[in-house]
Amino acid sequence: MTSRRPTFSSEILSPTRALVDGREIILAGTNNYLGLTFSEAVKSAAIDAIARQGTATTGSRLANGTFREHIDLEEDLKTFFRAKSAVVFTTGYQANLAAISTLAGRGDHLLIDADSHACIYDGCRLSEAETIRFRHNSPEDLAKRLARLPDEGARLVVVEGLYSMLGDVAPLDEFVAVAHEHGAYLYVDEAHSVGCYGDRGRGLAEELGVLDKIDFLSGTFSKSFASIGGFCVSRHPGLDLMRLVSRPYLFTASGSPSNVAAARAAMGEMMNGPDLSRELMERAHQLHAGLTGAGFTPASPPGPIIAIPRPDELTAVREWNRLLEAGIYVNLAVPPATPHAKSLLRLSVSAAHSEDEINTIISAFRELT
Amino acid sequence: MASGTDQKAIFEDVARVLSTHSHTQAPIRPETRIGADLEIDSVEIFDIVMELEDLYNISLPVEAASDIDTVQDLVSKIGQLANVR
Repeated sequence: MTSRRPTFSSEILSPTRALVDGREIILAGTNNYLGLTFSEAVKSAAIDAIARQGTATTGSRLANGTFREHIDLEEDLKTFFRAKSAVVFTTGYQANLAAISTLAGRGDHLLIDADSHACIYDGCRLSEAETIRFRHNSPEDLAKRLARLPDEGARLVVVEGLYSMLGDVAPLDEFVAVAHEHGAYLYVDEAHSVGCYGDRGRGLAEELGVLDKIDFLSGTFSKSFASIGGFCVSRHPGLDLMRLVSRPYLFTASGSPSNVAAARAAMGEMMNGPDLSRELMERAHQLHAGLTGAGFTPASPPGPIIAIPRPDELTAVREWNRLLEAGIYVNLAVPPATPHAKSLLRLSVSAAHSEDEINTIISAFRELT
Repeated sequence: MASGTDQKAIFEDVARVLSTHSHTQAPIRPETRIGADLEIDSVEIFDIVMELEDLYNISLPVEAASDIDTVQDLVSKIGQLANVR
């Protein structure tokens, strides 16, 4: 058996299928949680936007790059998340980079979960605030660190909803209580959890009943929204000031008409179409139970991300190759990109996966043992 | 736990914590490089810093942690933060 490098190029056939080296495989590592990349409504909206508005905006939001549809998308986001303000960015990475670096400045404190995504760390670097890490998913540790801070300056706590490597979710209700008790704002990155949790996929905060208490909520259009772009919404009206001072917002071209149209159409599907988040969770439970039955121990309870820790990097690489040979693509995640230096086979589930596809994935894993 | 400016006591606490994470037999002295000599990577150093933060009831900013190279760098930073607490 020859080992492949852990990346591949493919010809996409559907949300769950691709051709690799001329062979059809099942995709189980795309973050295409709702499978909307092939939705007729989403594709039509993108095609229509290109026909009407061309392929690109060729400019910054502050210059010529704000089209009517960018504003409409921000209005849709305010409605969807019951927010007072919303700002759309060109990518999800830039959403966190822009919002975090603008919301906290010199003399302020950023408190971030230790397992935060790279874009959160980069946002902190771009900010001139002091950054303090607290233990992953620990409201108690956060409370301790907030209590140590001086009274001066603002405090912004940054957590994620669903963590992308291990697939564990944050106790957002507890974080809300701790942050607000200590006079801090709470910022939640729901990049992976929007579309998957809550009524009509409004996210984990909505599912836990605290959406209206989250100060700032960010996300990406590149997963459940089947597009490219990012956003930040807030229950505070002042978020719009960011448009004047945020460098990652100002100094880049805005999202293309087709990307904006696709995101809007995907949100429409989430609100008005079949309940895809429910279908997604049914598949997630099926896969989690099947992998557990096959002798594997997922890192977290059933959810859209199922991570299987492996004993070492070499084992993970070998098994990743064997799965690909068996026609299954999963993500290979190894240190330093993983928490606690774990080597992982990481799967993401899609509402578009059929029961048979999930069973095929489980069978391939069973063959590894 | 060491108090205030007691650098020697801080060094002893730091050395004790580092010894449980070290991947080599290198002696732990003030000039010992945490990454190069003890082979403790940047992810582990954050865990070590958290242990020491709890011990001294301080918070070491991420930006400061990235400047730490030697054991003495860590001792000095803790001493500085513990004093201004």
